[in-house]
Amino acid sequence: MESLDPRLNRVNLEDKSLLKPKVALDQFETYETFVQTNENKPYQHEGVVHAPNEDMAFLFAKEQFSRRGTCSGISVCKTENVIVSPTTENGKNIYDEYEPHGSELHEYEKYEVFHLFRRGKQHQHIGQVEASSYDEAFNKSKAIYNNDKTVLNVWLVKTENILFVDENYRDIWHTLSEKQFREATAYRALDKIKKFKEENS
Amino acid sequence: MYGGGNTFEKLQTKNVEDEDPQLLAVFEARIERGEKIEPSDWMPDLYRKQLIRMIEQHAHSEIIGALPEGTWVTRAPGFKRKLALMAKVQDEVGHAQLLYSAAETLGKSREQMIDDLISGKSKYSNIFNYPAYTWADSCFISWLVDAGAIVNQTANSRGSYGPYCRALERICIEESFHLKYGHHCVIHMATGTTIQRKMMQEAINRWWKPMMHFFGPSDKISAHTEILMKWKVKMDTNDNMRNQFLDMYVPKIWELGITVPDPKLKKNNESGRWEYTEPDWDEFKRVINGDGPCNAERIAVRRMAEQRGRWVRKALLSPKSKYVTPLA
Repeated sequence: MESLDPRLNRVNLEDKSLLKPKVALDQFETYETFVQTNENKPYQHEGVVHAPNEDMAFLFAKEQFSRRGTCSGISVCKTENVIVSPTTENGKNIYDEYEPHGSELHEYEKYEVFHLFRRGKQHQHIGQVEASSYDEAFNKSKAIYNNDKTVLNVWLVKTENILFVDENYRDIWHTLSEKQFREATAYRALDKIKKFKEENS
Repeated sequence: MYGGGNTFEKLQTKNVEDEDPQLLAVFEARIERGEKIEPSDWMPDLYRKQLIRMIEQHAHSEIIGALPEGTWVTRAPGFKRKLALMAKVQDEVGHAQLLYSAAETLGKSREQMIDDLISGKSKYSNIFNYPAYTWADSCFISWLVDAGAIVNQTANSRGSYGPYCRALERICIEESFHLKYGHHCVIHMATGTTIQRKMMQEAINRWWKPMMHFFGPSDKISAHTEILMKWKVKMDTNDNMRNQFLDMYVPKIWELGITVPDPKLKKNNESGRWEYTEPDWDEFKRVINGDGPCNAERIAVRRMAEQRGRWVRKALLSPKSKYVTPLA
């Protein structure tokens, strides 16, 4: 096999001897990523990264979700640490429909609350509660954060399970001026076409 | 970038008639209302399997699609082009990550998807089985293959599966830079020296055939897709998307004084449809089944990456880790 890319001809691409199926977790665990696009907006769920640990998850998430456009913060947590309520049907409010029970009791600690307001959209960070179990955290967020807006689904994550970036390191997000070449606006060429047409008409 | 939804062979799934009629009715009513389906919702087997295959093929297309352009990074003419092309290639690989995650929410692990790519079991967009001989070929891909992908992806982003739609929205925003960058490159070549113009014309001549294949077989011969359109898995027919692409981009090629190598190509102003020479669907099938100029090389490069990275992944893997399906 002769490739058009000279680099590829230097390696033995025909060698299939080492081809074997991937082992479980070869691609690591998943981390849910929450992104704040600017300082006045809430953190919002954006997607998943696969990583071997929390710090790497943060680095991958930063590369994946702040590479383009504006970003003022990213936090990550292991998927298994997100406790998910059922989702309501027909626009009913989950806080009216669901009573959690049976979660383990712990010391008092902080929980982060995320709400889903519309199907197809993403969960938004709403605030924090202090509680001694997930059930209590759910009930407390009902008391504090349930208002006119219908909540379809709630995510709860213990604060200690989320990796946040220290507020003092806000500078790391001010990269917009360095990535102009990643924006469509850097590639204007209408003048060239116009000139070409004039010269050839 | 992607030319998807069209490389499907028949799937082995539970018959729709065997699904629970009540659950099916709720599912279809939800789609009818314009609501999205989320991973925790009930869905028919056919819907799940078809989406896994479609999103997975899309993800593979992003990975493989980065290869013909990626090999031009070292040879790109000048620093600015190198910087832009590198950013574009990075975006494509990022898109694959988003898409693998979306497919994963449906129950197929990323390990299995990558295995299926490098063993040759899964398909990806056929156009990447053709070689990029010159810099002008790379320009063609950046502009017109991405343009085709945007037509496709914009349609799919109105589909019914929540995680896929959200990934596509993000991808479409990022693709706008690719399109502008690609157009910028092509304009530069087409308005340049005689040799540059000739290079650009030759690239268009080489790529037109796979570009016409890109949207998949003609509706006349393509597999039955009625139920997939009803479930908003497939959002438009192959011919409609091809027509939309021609409508948007043929005039932009012509205005640069470049010709398209199809004497029959013209717009029928009465029907609003483009007329063209019927693409060679036998060649399309032959290439997609492995007999194209670059199939072997594309897969071999991925296999090499897989082998070379294996020790790193092994070293990083913690014995305590545990797999959980991503949420959304």
